[in-house]
Amino acid sequence: MGFTAEALEKTVLQGEPDWLRERRQSALATYERLPAPSKTDEEWRRTDVSRFNPTEFSHLEHLDGLKLERPAGLPAGVILKPLRMAAREHPELVEPRLFSLVHADRDRFAALHAAFFTGGTFLYVPDGVEFDEPILGQHFSHQAGTSVLPHTLIVAGRGARFNYLDEYIAEDENETGHRSGSTEIFLGEGAQVGYVAVQKWGRKVWHFADQRAELQKDSTLRLFNVTLGGKFSKTRVEASLAGEGSNAELKAIYFASGDQFFDFHTLQDHRVGNTRSDLLFKGALQDVSRTVYAGLIRIEKHAARSDAYQANRNLVLSDKAKATSIPMLEIDNNEVRCTHGATVGPVDPEHLFYLRSRGIPLATAKRMLIQGFFGDVLDRIPFEHARKLVEAELESRIG
Amino acid sequence: MATVPKVEVGTDYKEKYGFFVPEEYVFKAKRGLNPEIVKEISWMKQEPEWMTNMRLRSLEIFRKKPMPKWGADLSVIDFENIFYYLKASDKQSKTWEELPPDIKATYDRLGVPEAERKFLAGVSAQYESEVVYHSLQEELTKKGVIFTDTDSALRDHPELFKEYFGTVIPPADNKFSALNTAVWSGGSFIYVPKGVRVDIPLQAYFRINAENMGQFERTLIICDEGSFVHYIEGCTAPIYSTDSLHSAVVEIIVKKNARCRYTTIQNWSTNVYNLVTKRAMAYADATMEWVDGNLGSQITMKYPSVYLMEPGAKGDVLSVAFAGKGQHQDAGGKMIHVAPNTTSTITSKSISKGGGRTSYRGHIKIYPGANNCKSFVKCDALLLDDESRSDTYPYNDVDAENVTLGHEATVSKVSDEQLFYLMSRGINRAEAETMIVNGFIEPFTKELPLEYAVELNRLIQLEMEGSVG
Repeated sequence: MGFTAEALEKTVLQGEPDWLRERRQSALATYERLPAPSKTDEEWRRTDVSRFNPTEFSHLEHLDGLKLERPAGLPAGVILKPLRMAAREHPELVEPRLFSLVHADRDRFAALHAAFFTGGTFLYVPDGVEFDEPILGQHFSHQAGTSVLPHTLIVAGRGARFNYLDEYIAEDENETGHRSGSTEIFLGEGAQVGYVAVQKWGRKVWHFADQRAELQKDSTLRLFNVTLGGKFSKTRVEASLAGEGSNAELKAIYFASGDQFFDFHTLQDHRVGNTRSDLLFKGALQDVSRTVYAGLIRIEKHAARSDAYQANRNLVLSDKAKATSIPMLEIDNNEVRCTHGATVGPVDPEHLFYLRSRGIPLATAKRMLIQGFFGDVLDRIPFEHARKLVEAELESRIG
Repeated sequence: MATVPKVEVGTDYKEKYGFFVPEEYVFKAKRGLNPEIVKEISWMKQEPEWMTNMRLRSLEIFRKKPMPKWGADLSVIDFENIFYYLKASDKQSKTWEELPPDIKATYDRLGVPEAERKFLAGVSAQYESEVVYHSLQEELTKKGVIFTDTDSALRDHPELFKEYFGTVIPPADNKFSALNTAVWSGGSFIYVPKGVRVDIPLQAYFRINAENMGQFERTLIICDEGSFVHYIEGCTAPIYSTDSLHSAVVEIIVKKNARCRYTTIQNWSTNVYNLVTKRAMAYADATMEWVDGNLGSQITMKYPSVYLMEPGAKGDVLSVAFAGKGQHQDAGGKMIHVAPNTTSTITSKSISKGGGRTSYRGHIKIYPGANNCKSFVKCDALLLDDESRSDTYPYNDVDAENVTLGHEATVSKVSDEQLFYLMSRGINRAEAETMIVNGFIEPFTKELPLEYAVELNRLIQLEMEGSVG
């Protein structure tokens, strides 16, 4: 059937409000207009999408099929429902925000996602509301050869405090398909949000995701991304520090094996002064996998007294695996502290020697070093439930 | 006006150079760029046919290549409005009085001797170091070292020249290397034979030749097996130039076990676009070191690179950039690991002041099969006020096994604590800031010969006072 206007009409547009219909149609037009990314474009120079043909996967799966775990005793006023339902029932909250951070015209894949997004969550936490129990959103894929395009929209009112987990789960590790999992997070003044995304799609899918947050005055975001699935996975993690005193912590771990390819692009955009961002992406690579990390810290002209940190560490466990790391800075103000670093390398032979000299077998020693490598960043996972989940996932992969 | 003394131009030329130019056809500089001008340049220099053809081919390549879309904004360069070749005599037509006052003032402050000043300012092509130069030449010749300007080398050492010219940086490498190959003039040519160590640094300075500061200079250095040479290009005093575009090419071949160090201190006046391609090939166990300081020019785009061709080769770039008002220093380094067991380091220090912009742009490429390589990049940037800007763009491509790669960068202002400490000891603010900046670039200055280091420190002091540029 292809990703056409008819397909759009027949599938997702049914019963949607006019503003959303228009938005999807315009995104579809953008998708049709934009060319495939070219190899000369810096962002795509190392990321080959020439073999990805979205029309092969134009069957959309489960329009509202997600499992939302609604914690008992959720405070009054909190809205938690599938995004499409929220678009109908709370247009005043959804319409001004949806796709205002993650722009449909960024590239072809973002446009396709904006036109055909299916499942997804809307979470609204009013001013001053706090709760401890995390909200869990699970997005499943059940079939091979389909597109599953969930979108999460989170709005945190002034002083709201809560945690949210998105888990992207494939029923069959070996299914093919096209997957996304984009998220927009709005943090009101003084809000504190913990957000974890665990991507465990099948090992043969194409995956594109944009996770972007906007932080108002004195708000704090703790974002944690875990990338494990996909034959090809491209994720952009971006924080826009729009209010003084805001603080974004962006952390990620990835574990690539087989012939997986992961691409991460990050942005720490300090638009005003007295803002802080702290980014750490850590990954291990096995077999013939490849990863690309490219991150930018941008300190805009008047963003004095900003403090930004960016680090990407890659542990290359096999001779054939390959990690590329490009940490970038654009600093337009001098009253700042910016540091970044990147490393790519194998397990330190001296560490290995030390452990083996203590009688620890090679395989065990290696496993310990990998666990140690991830250990410090695992501690930064904002809430217990997600930490346990991620630890278990890693454990099963380190073996 | 007094009568001009009669000069026997015709006979003199014929005796000296073996060719004859009737006076009415003396080469007049023309603006613009076309095959006729390129042919004329080549004809003027009496070059062999292969060079003329290479120039013409390069011009074609230059025309076909698009302008780079990255880096600094180069859209204002008008290639049709540039003189591509000036005879040495034409270059000296300026007078001391015509020089901008700030350049003269800087010479005063730096304490550059009168004769040297005129040389630097392009007023005189004669720098009175003839004696030094001659005794140096004698010693070099004894050792079999060739140190001459590139035009003479083409004439006097045609075989050696043809073997290496354009092999490290072919014309098609980039738009500006194509331009340089089409219209090059001047530059240095050095050949160091097997096992010879040249103890004193060689400086273009010593060579009495107006063209060594040409717009399109071309330098070729060949270090044969086990040899060593240190070449110094430029100087700390500002070089005044009326030309708006400088596009040099430097090619270096460092053979087995040899070591070459190439030190540059670039301080063009701030109307200059400085777009330079510098590259070295290092063979087994050879070491190539670029020590690169960029202070002047309006825009500099320069990324000295080392191709590590055989196991054990080592590449090193140490770079300092200072960007003041209206300046953009887009500098860095490239390390291309072609062979296994090769190592490289890049250290970059940049300072921006008064709205200036410094960008570090680097590339580490490790080819498939170049296993067990190590590379480390460190970039530090200092921003002296809130109008200035600093960027870091490191590109890393690793295609080999068991590679260790590290990158570190910091951007900061002059630390309040350090400033407070110095000021509490009775040092005024300006002086304290200068001390901190000099301390910041110390890893660079300590690699320079003493007289350069002293001059550089003094120059930084001037830049800090804002009395230059």
